[in-house]
Amino acid sequence: MDLPAGTRNFSYAEDMTIFRTRTQKASLALLFLLLFTAPLWLDKTLLPVANLIGITLIAATGLNILTGYCGQLSIGHAGFIAVGAYTSAVLTNRLELPFIAGIIGAGLLSGLVGILFGIPSLRVKGFYLAISTIAAQFIIIWVINHWESVTGGFMGMSVPYPSLGGFVFKSESSQYFLIMAFAVACIYFAKNLARTRVGRAFVAIRDNDLAAEVMGINLFRYKLTAFFIGCFMAGIAGSLLAHWTGFLNTEFFSLSDSVLYIGMIIIGGMGTTLGPILGVVFIRLLDQALTHWLVPSLEGTDILPIGFASGAAPMVFGLAIVLFLILEPRGLAHRWQIFKSAYRLWPFSY
Amino acid sequence: MAELLQLVITGITVGMVYALIALGFVLVWKSTGVANLALGQIVLLSSWFTYGMLVQRGLPLWLGFLIVIVFSILLGWIVERVILRPLIAQPILSLITVTLGLAYFIQGIVVFIWPISVAALPRLFPIEPVHIGPAVVSQQYLWAAGISLLFFGLLSLFFRYSRMGVAMRATADDQKAVQACGIPVTRIFSRSWMFACVLAAVGGVLMSSIGGVTFGLVETGLKSFSVVILGGLDSFLGAILAGPIIGLAENLGDGYLTRLIGWGGVKDVIPFVVIIIVMFIKPYGLFGEERIERI
Repeated sequence: MDLPAGTRNFSYAEDMTIFRTRTQKASLALLFLLLFTAPLWLDKTLLPVANLIGITLIAATGLNILTGYCGQLSIGHAGFIAVGAYTSAVLTNRLELPFIAGIIGAGLLSGLVGILFGIPSLRVKGFYLAISTIAAQFIIIWVINHWESVTGGFMGMSVPYPSLGGFVFKSESSQYFLIMAFAVACIYFAKNLARTRVGRAFVAIRDNDLAAEVMGINLFRYKLTAFFIGCFMAGIAGSLLAHWTGFLNTEFFSLSDSVLYIGMIIIGGMGTTLGPILGVVFIRLLDQALTHWLVPSLEGTDILPIGFASGAAPMVFGLAIVLFLILEPRGLAHRWQIFKSAYRLWPFSY
Repeated sequence: MAELLQLVITGITVGMVYALIALGFVLVWKSTGVANLALGQIVLLSSWFTYGMLVQRGLPLWLGFLIVIVFSILLGWIVERVILRPLIAQPILSLITVTLGLAYFIQGIVVFIWPISVAALPRLFPIEPVHIGPAVVSQQYLWAAGISLLFFGLLSLFFRYSRMGVAMRATADDQKAVQACGIPVTRIFSRSWMFACVLAAVGGVLMSSIGGVTFGLVETGLKSFSVVILGGLDSFLGAILAGPIIGLAENLGDGYLTRLIGWGGVKDVIPFVVIIIVMFIKPYGLFGEERIERI
């Protein structure tokens, strides 16, 4: 079903290939061409949105590995992103280390904090784990807010531009290339991770952790690995976010953001590589459409109550999460799959 | 000494309100198996609704509260019927995240209808402070604790003697057996949600009569999760006992730890630290039943 008519796999390697046919390779090349020339043809007001999508995509891909593949629900993802953001900010601003040290440090520290809060996952799951990650979110944000000598507390702190080997990423479009390079690398990693021994172990743990343990999968190791990888990506995303916005405070990392990340991978489709991409683009464009186009165009016309501007986005997002869970729990990725196979078979539907 | 006594009394009384809210959570968890993470937002919504009825509409207290109770029953019914009923027998991951979506949605509604961030309810309880030994305690706390106790009593009578209450306890115990006995399980589900929403509303009104109607009420709901975790997810007794413990820890920590470490706002983080500690030491809580899983 996944392959066009006439294409057959004769070896395992062929079967596992991601880009099998010439058309697929050509469309990948075209995608990259479009992606990396985007600053040339994309509207200037849309470029920041694209950057935000790229950053969110890295975080959501990490969460997808943790929740979608390994089945460990984390409602503290924004907290882990905050750890990365502040680590990178402290390393580059206060200690004046290069950007590359900042981003790697951010990933590692986030990963370690993730492991720390992931330890309860060895004994509990489901709701218990969800609550302990919510607790992680609150504790992390509280520590950041009160550790003023390092993080700047409620006042926030400024972050320098990222730089690599003397080149400073000052403009929006140069940052776009940086962010997209990281996003592509993370998606490539996630796609390949799912096909390795580790990835298959994650899926086994998600489907039934007891059965997985009986089959010889070391739960301790793999669950914590999942937490490490998921939070490592959160840290990378946090670091990029910090350097992109140039200023940090904890309002970027609230509990509702954590919920929104969960919503993104649900809307996109959990446990697929395509899912987070679709979900992130969907939510971010919806956000853009609501807060930047719809609300200003209706403002001053007296049709709307005052609360519309701030209340519309949470309402629509919440509704989207609920509706997707009830009507299409496998998300947009599944819809896209249905569409593709229907298109392949058309007009002979069987 | 006076300060200690004061902190202890405030802690225990506030903790009882947490316990009341937590009871609604335990009820839903036991009978339907759904973890209601929207609890904080339900508390928020019903408090704002109370504000809308009592202050904005200017209704008399008794009528206002009657409408609030009817509203929260209706809210529970709608939530169960529209959102949770289609998801029966879905994986726990969907059940948790759907309540997160609901939480998001309710928060949007609250911001939409009441775009102000702080408001005060009309005075419900007499304001003169009471002297207990050397301590001076605001009377509102005692009233809140008294009303919570009243609701504990009513609930335990309901579960002991009413037909519906017995059926609900039976559903919590064994769903399939109850179904085989001819008890309509879906109706029990919807009753549990109604109860949870009413308890959340009562807790919300009590909390906001003390501290005003703010977004901090969401955290009150979240704090009752730590009550639930400490007491054990499926234990009513655990929730009632753990509530005052959390309240005590919170107030004593606020009173003494703040001076010790010099960071303000210790009060807000202590319940979450308790959650993490309980997770590491005794994840099923004080009275929770440890589930042994089979493949």
